Amino acid sequence: MIALSDTPTLRTERLVLRAPLGSDWPHWRAFHTDMRAQWIGGAKGADGAWRAFGHVIGHWAMRGFGSFVFHRQGDPTPIGMCGPWFPEGWPETEIGWTLWSGAHEGKGFATEAARTTMAFARDRLGWHSAVSYIHPDNAASMAVAVRLGATRDETAARPHANDVVYRHWGMP
Amino acid sequence: MTTPLPHIPTLRTERLTLHAPRMEDHDALSAFYGSPRASFAGGPMTPGLSWRVLAQEAGQWMLRGFGRWVATERGDDTPMGTVGLCHPDGSPENELGSDLFEGATGKGDATEAGMAARAYAYGTLGWTTLISLIARGNDASAAVARRLGATPKGPFTHGRFGTMTIWRHPSAQGVAP
Repeated sequence: MIALSDTPTLRTERLVLRAPLGSDWPHWRAFHTDMRAQWIGGAKGADGAWRAFGHVIGHWAMRGFGSFVFHRQGDPTPIGMCGPWFPEGWPETEIGWTLWSGAHEGKGFATEAARTTMAFARDRLGWHSAVSYIHPDNAASMAVAVRLGATRDETAARPHANDVVYRHWGMP
Repeated sequence: MTTPLPHIPTLRTERLTLHAPRMEDHDALSAFYGSPRASFAGGPMTPGLSWRVLAQEAGQWMLRGFGRWVATERGDDTPMGTVGLCHPDGSPENELGSDLFEGATGKGDATEAGMAARAYAYGTLGWTTLISLIARGNDASAAVARRLGATPKGPFTHGRFGTMTIWRHPSAQGVAP
């Protein structure tokens, strides 16, 4: 079996966060081909979803860290992804999050997942700064950033001209 | 700190080594994908996008259990191209593909690498058949397919690359040693 090796698993009160698995694909596909994924460049069909998920897995291989897929304690069905994200071309290190179904919104899962991956990025990866790049129409995601205590940074560089930058800590 | 995909096999041919896609390959890959040579492979594109392509190639291995390798000459770490197996969601069947970087063409490397990847597909993975999808006008890749014994069979409409030709490789039985 081809799998990522030596990847960490994080636990919160309600969630388990682990590296992506090949078996996450159908769940990712359902999310990424839906309009829910429009804010992260998705909603463009199975081919785009396939390449995007290859990138999610490969990010771990390239950087040694990546975004964690998470599920609820006691139920292995993946419900979202959250964590450190730093592909080539990103101005600085990012914490990102996605919830894969509307059924899981409004319960604090993204906030809970982000808190623990932020601690991981700071303590284990030694990050000096972290931001989140959010589409200006993605109100739900901006609300998560505010709950996490992030503040808007109007002057920071950003990968896409219309991204809103929320700064969690530090400066690049 | 890197987390490799340690279970990806390394293949060796008479002249080439095929290794798992890795971060160190990005400079060479970026030069290729930034050039007009990559026009049949979704390019030319920025280094940011070619980094994604390289990450995707690594990720393929976990999604399917097979994928592309990066080819170098034996004893030299300079990537010359990528070659290998893929089956993206929406593709008709398992494919063999390769892209050769600047300066690596005309030496039979693509053919040698393609034979090694095909032998892996038929031998280790136990596949019985294989196609290559080649864009109209990509004469260099068509010539490699022909040297590998493949024959053109018909059109396939690719979501991103438009009309391509399906090249059918000899069956596993047909290339058995």
